[in-house]
Amino acid sequence: MAHALRDTAAISGIGETAYTRGTAKSGLALQLEASLAAIADAGLGPRDIDGIIPYFPGGGIAEDFVANLGLPDLALSAFIPMGGATCVAALQTAAMAVATGVCKNVLISVGRTGYSGARVSTRLQQFPQFALAAEFEAPIGMFAPAQLYAQGARRHMQLYGTTPRHFAEVAVTTRNHAILNGNVVMNKPLTVEDHHASRMISDPFRLFDCSLESDGGAAVIVSASDRAKSLNKPLVTIMGVAEGHPESPASIAQRPDLLEFGLVKAARRGYEMAGVAPKDMDVAEIYDCFTFTVIRQLEILGFCKTGEGGPFVMDGRIGLGGELPINTHGGLLSQGHVVGLNHVIELTRQLRGEAGKAQVKDAEMGLVTGYGDMGDGSLAILRRAA
Amino acid sequence: MSTTTAPAAPAAPERPMPVPTRESKPYWDGLREGRFMLQHCAACGKVRHYPRPVCPHCFSMASSFKEAPRGGTVHTWTVCHHPFNFFFKPQAPYIVALVDMDAGVRVNAQLHGVAEKDLKIGQRVKLAFEPITAEITLPFFTPS
Repeated sequence: MAHALRDTAAISGIGETAYTRGTAKSGLALQLEASLAAIADAGLGPRDIDGIIPYFPGGGIAEDFVANLGLPDLALSAFIPMGGATCVAALQTAAMAVATGVCKNVLISVGRTGYSGARVSTRLQQFPQFALAAEFEAPIGMFAPAQLYAQGARRHMQLYGTTPRHFAEVAVTTRNHAILNGNVVMNKPLTVEDHHASRMISDPFRLFDCSLESDGGAAVIVSASDRAKSLNKPLVTIMGVAEGHPESPASIAQRPDLLEFGLVKAARRGYEMAGVAPKDMDVAEIYDCFTFTVIRQLEILGFCKTGEGGPFVMDGRIGLGGELPINTHGGLLSQGHVVGLNHVIELTRQLRGEAGKAQVKDAEMGLVTGYGDMGDGSLAILRRAA
Repeated sequence: MSTTTAPAAPAAPERPMPVPTRESKPYWDGLREGRFMLQHCAACGKVRHYPRPVCPHCFSMASSFKEAPRGGTVHTWTVCHHPFNFFFKPQAPYIVALVDMDAGVRVNAQLHGVAEKDLKIGQRVKLAFEPITAEITLPFFTPS
């Protein structure tokens, strides 16, 4: 029997601001600008929103949305404290809310001044989930995600022979896709040589293995599928969705297997809910805080076996026209860092047939992942309704 | 579109320091005294790190700290070049090794006295103590 949540909720609206490095706007203003765009895209009015899941910390909270949009009867205000896994995990909470009738239209949104406002070291100290890293690792000189995640990447390289050439392929492919998009921070071509020549950040991560610090806002609206049918756009439903939390969730150091992300659990449940397999995906938007993170998630998602992620990304396989085009918008590596809500937006565009020059031909089904907060994971499988 | 520039790096960086909690105080007290102390469950005897109130194996809240052996093997590492906290700029690049301690837990600490090209998984190292203040001593590794 099909899962009760399968296809009952839909992505009814999507919206983005310009992605930039430098802005005079606040994170809240960016978030509201993107939210208004998503509301208009859905064919709704601001007062139709009755559920709010903002990315936190940073940007606005439900109170800000009530104040700015005059929401008459907010029925749900929730945070999903999962770092980079938040936005896709929020789809699960939103889907539950609209499927049960608690809400009609849930707004998920991000507004961030990651370049012009508080940057990485300041931002992380706001997360209670980083308390262990702050106590035991920051004092020895290890605190930023680039450092904490580098040890897992290094272990993968030592165990399986994954190389910087594989990392570079992810960076270059993602950049090629970004150039097609237009609304991106990084719009100049990148070569493998550029990648290898970029400065070392935390071995094995070089500058071009790392995602951007950028300014921008993004928003998505989730509505019940039967309601969303009458809205503006082609219907894109949430076929499967799940979040997953790894062992030792607040300390990578103490995790029995550093490479067992929360996505291991989320993928199992997400595929099961959708009733589909990796081979059914026409396109995949993979959370790309680092190039290696993409490689490992492709393994976890079952596109290849553990240890084969490096070779898998080669030979054009993950580029447009390849077997599995990924991050067709330019991702966090080249488009902008709005904690992966841009990945949800891009997958929706692909399935609507609105992806412009980066359109995957006849894309009907795809997946999007989230990864963050020391290894939490999330997966959503979306499809265009027949 | 108007733009603003990114904030400058802090002028006088301070070392980030641990703030021992009620759970972790015996660990930090141990390091200050030159002893590697780990939390053990008083009911089932299993070791756990980082310190926390409940044993995840048997759910007992009774525990005690015991001195543990200081040897271990390298599980993985990173070499930190970019000083995300500018306190560490003079030290960069520095190696942070994640070590499987013989005691059954992992410790992340800087590894001194090993060249980057000689690093390998499984290499034997030993935990040592570096006093930072009167209260706080941090661990580091040396080749054993």
